[in-house]
Amino acid sequence: MPNVAVETVKLTIDGQSLTVPKGTLVIEAARQVGVMVPHFCYHPKLKPDANCRMCLVEIEKIPKLQTACSTPVAEGMVVRTATTVVNEAHKSVLEFILANHPLDCPVCDQGGRCDLQDFSHEYTPTTSRFIEVKRVFQKEYFSPLIEKQMNRCVQCLRCVRYCDEVMDVKALAPVNRGTMTEIKHFGTHELDCEFCGGCIQICPVGAITSRLSMYEFRPWMLKRADTVCTYCGDGCQITLQTKDNQLIEVNSSLGAGRNNGDLCARGYFGYHATTHPDRLTTPLVRRDGRLVPATWDEALEYVAETFAQLKLKHGAQVFAGVITARCTNEDLYLFQKFMRLAVGTNKLDSSARYGQVNAVRALCRIQGTHRWPVTFEDIAAAEALLLVGTNITEANPITGLRVKEAVKKHGATLLTVESLQPTVGTISNIANLAAHHFTAHPDQYKPVVLGLIKAVIEEGLADQPLSQKAPAYLQAIRDAVHALSWPTIEAATGSSAASFKEAARAFARTARAVIIVGAGVLREPGASGLAATLQDLLLLTGHHGRPGCGLAPLAEQNNDQGAVEMGTVTECLPGPCDLDDQEARARVSALWQEDLPQGPGLTIPEILEEARGKTLKALYLVGEDPVGSLPESARAKEALEGVEFLVCQELFLTETAQMAHVVLPACSYAEKDGTFTNTEGHVQQVRHAIEPVGESRPDWEIFSDLAGLMGYPLEYGDAKDLLKEIRALVPGYNLPGPTPKPSRPDHTAVDRYLQQGYAEDLGERYRYTPPVKAAGRLTLLVDQSLFHSGKFSTKAKGLLHLQAEGAVSLNPADAARLGIVEGDRVLLSNELGHCRTTAKVWDRIPAGLCRFPEHFDQEARRLLSVSIDVATGVPYYRSAQVKVEKAQ
Amino acid sequence: MTKFTAWIKTIIFYEILVGMKATLSHLLHYKPITLQYPHEKRTLPDSYRGMLALLRYDDGTEKCVGCDLCEAACPSRVIKVFSAEVPGEPTKRYAKEYYMDMTRCLFCGLCVDACPVDALGMTREFEWAVYDKRQLRLNKEQLLAIGDRSYPVREKRLEFQHPNVAFFNVAFKGLPEKES
Ligand code: SF4
Ligand code: SF4
Ligand code: SF4
Ligand code: SF4
Ligand code: SF4
Ligand code: FES
Repeated sequence: MPNVAVETVKLTIDGQSLTVPKGTLVIEAARQVGVMVPHFCYHPKLKPDANCRMCLVEIEKIPKLQTACSTPVAEGMVVRTATTVVNEAHKSVLEFILANHPLDCPVCDQGGRCDLQDFSHEYTPTTSRFIEVKRVFQKEYFSPLIEKQMNRCVQCLRCVRYCDEVMDVKALAPVNRGTMTEIKHFGTHELDCEFCGGCIQICPVGAITSRLSMYEFRPWMLKRADTVCTYCGDGCQITLQTKDNQLIEVNSSLGAGRNNGDLCARGYFGYHATTHPDRLTTPLVRRDGRLVPATWDEALEYVAETFAQLKLKHGAQVFAGVITARCTNEDLYLFQKFMRLAVGTNKLDSSARYGQVNAVRALCRIQGTHRWPVTFEDIAAAEALLLVGTNITEANPITGLRVKEAVKKHGATLLTVESLQPTVGTISNIANLAAHHFTAHPDQYKPVVLGLIKAVIEEGLADQPLSQKAPAYLQAIRDAVHALSWPTIEAATGSSAASFKEAARAFARTARAVIIVGAGVLREPGASGLAATLQDLLLLTGHHGRPGCGLAPLAEQNNDQGAVEMGTVTECLPGPCDLDDQEARARVSALWQEDLPQGPGLTIPEILEEARGKTLKALYLVGEDPVGSLPESARAKEALEGVEFLVCQELFLTETAQMAHVVLPACSYAEKDGTFTNTEGHVQQVRHAIEPVGESRPDWEIFSDLAGLMGYPLEYGDAKDLLKEIRALVPGYNLPGPTPKPSRPDHTAVDRYLQQGYAEDLGERYRYTPPVKAAGRLTLLVDQSLFHSGKFSTKAKGLLHLQAEGAVSLNPADAARLGIVEGDRVLLSNELGHCRTTAKVWDRIPAGLCRFPEHFDQEARRLLSVSIDVATGVPYYRSAQVKVEKAQ
Repeated sequence: MTKFTAWIKTIIFYEILVGMKATLSHLLHYKPITLQYPHEKRTLPDSYRGMLALLRYDDGTEKCVGCDLCEAACPSRVIKVFSAEVPGEPTKRYAKEYYMDMTRCLFCGLCVDACPVDALGMTREFEWAVYDKRQLRLNKEQLLAIGDRSYPVREKRLEFQHPNVAFFNVAFKGLPEKES
């Protein structure tokens, strides 16, 4: 963030003098000296509105009382917050509010943590002069998740302003006037919005409450545990509130965590997944072909014995293991240590394979470090932002809020390249805020990026120092883009050369620029190449390496970044260091006091391949469900059937677990301690909120016990012990502070790339061959939706309320051409198969594309083929060409 | 006081006689005080704090709105309330389950004071000796039954739009229920 010299102002509040930066509001200054000015409509996140008049204070030399929430401090100001006049004012403001307020406190979920209750206790007389009948709003509907009780509203408009200013959803608006002002959304049906829960949290009274936890608690009964949400890579800090070992509700505290108190629907309403009645509660062992409950001792001894026998018979290279990147760092670390030492193989991988590996590889290659060179704060402070292939509001909503903040609060220029069109809808769309938007199908991201680079070169926007430092590199790019003609690019992208030039100018001429890439780039063929090309763009415009600038690839899973850093992906050792880096090997084996296994690692697709070839005898899957999550064309089921001994460590009996020989019940994040590393590389503490469900145990404890039984004791007292060991190997795991320090690019790596590294694949990266598309087909994109993420969100009743089934979304023109209307049954088909589903017509979908939510794609997945990245081994299966027709 | 009077008092145990005065006088005019309980019963004072009960309105509906305030007020953690929405009446609150562990009750009456809708009452029942302590853990039905027999005259249920009263029992029929 830029350092600007701050002007300060001196003032006195209630006799205490203090110095604060110019522009600070009186209410904020007062808070700094511990003076609480009562308020309803003020909120540090929102622009002052000064509508409730609760915060009146006396300021010397100003005849009337002033609202502390909208008055900025001035030099020499003398403020008094507790005089008789001020107290009288508080009383009358409250008397007016209470004139209409129902005495609902005993049944109101806010009772006990309500600003109105607190202020009433503090300031009002106990009688009222009003004898009129109180206002009563008629109810039109009851919402399953967000319940409005307008009789309790104090009309502070915080909810309306939050939904607009922070969320950019604009779902709420005040209707009518005076005391009859009512907060409504547009329509008399249930609220339809992003369901971020922000309005519930920001309402100072109980006018908007969560129906999901309604009447299940009183605030004083709740025990709190600050932990980290597991639904996406943003790593929001959440507070799990429990009563009698039951999860009751989720909160976030303003200013805490990387989310600064904001959440999305998954974080706020998705907490029921961990306590779903289907949770596995005891170990299961296959006896006579059936999985039957067993004790932990039986199950673990069985696994250890079988592992030992197989190892004796076939050696260690017939084992492989895959763990989900949703586990804690401690789990991930111990898993790879277990596989390498107790089992003795490098054949291990994690679900970071599905995309994050591409991101880390592109970062390492050009900037020499594996973490984001920027933080969320840098995104909010950026002057230009380029979003490529990420429907950020649905995939990483909280990073999305930082983008919204940059644009709406600080006036940043936003460029978006996405397979959505900018249209207004019930959930916000980042493309609506973009100054330059390129609608692109998943296979069009590359030509758009090349178009931008061509525009930068042709408009003479390339950075001067670069032409001296790396003339050959610049020339190579110049030649490469020269070979691409504008007509080719225009034909490939559907956007005009002029629009590219305008966008390039807007991007290049800024001091601070950040490029954010998402699944559209990272989970489509050519991912790491495109991520490298985007860094070329930063190098060309001179942004690369400047503080506050850089490439930020979004992690999909909560601990994707941690999985790579723990060395739990095939090509890495903890650090992360390359598996064949001799120096790193020496360091790791010195700490472990054991030799590292030789032999190659295997990625997830390779593991499945070996399993199909029957060379793999034993497979240990931790939280991974290849049968249930990969398309049928990956032939995971066939592969796993060929494995002699399959051990699954799971929360639920997934499709894969049903095939296992032993199923071990593991704890969810709400039941264990540890750390997660979020997408920006910030390590955060995970704390248990409830006791383990049934007999389930934390993953690392299971690895540790198994290792002991196999004769390679890996003993740790608790998760903290493990973190200590991790610190010795992986930099950046010391006591996590409030904000991460972004990694600075390593200049030798950048120079190496500029001198020769680029040459290795530049030709390939800048070549564009238009894809061959069969006529009459649409591109099917299986994409993440806002209301679901990961394997468990479909177990959360709150999220199922929001979305319980998949439907294919079509562009209105395409739908009209095919004679399809909303709600029709449609048939999707291609060479691989067909599936029937319901159609939804949505103007946000560009022509030629259709979109299906990832979490309900069991049927649609059949249409997807898997292609594997030769460089990074990432399996891609997000899009396919399909024929869409109306089902008979 | 002379030495002599002091001496006399010592030998006739004067202090003890003073102390025993009341007893000795009863010895002379004998009239039994002990009540032959259970054949004879005492009249209880008006403010007698006996067994707790849950009450109903005149139309037979439960008064309790499940607010948990009695649970919060109780110093010896006698009460456990499980509140929920009334089935079929969205956003109306009631106590789905209500338990009192009378083995721990001090009969202090704080819960009765705390209740915002006067749903709790103290009865004049006290004959609750049982062989099994577990029988003193009372559920909602038992507590309502005590109320029914102890408070035959019930309070009238307030009308919904009465000025300046609580809207607790506002209900809108025929709308969807909260799913569980
Ligand atoms: S909003 Fe506050 S004051 Fe109003 S009924 Fe609820 S707890 Fe009571
Ligand atoms: S829950 Fe909906 S209405 Fe409330 S702030 Fe979020 S998007 Fe807006
Ligand atoms: S619903 Fe809550 S936040 Fe919104 S205006 Fe009313 S009191 Fe304020
Ligand atoms: S009388 Fe006192 S001790 Fe007994 S339940 Fe009520 S508050 Fe608790
Ligand atoms: S205080 Fe009264 S209304 Fe509230 S739960 Fe107890 S008995 Fe019911
Ligand atoms: S807080 Fe200042 S007017 Fe509302």
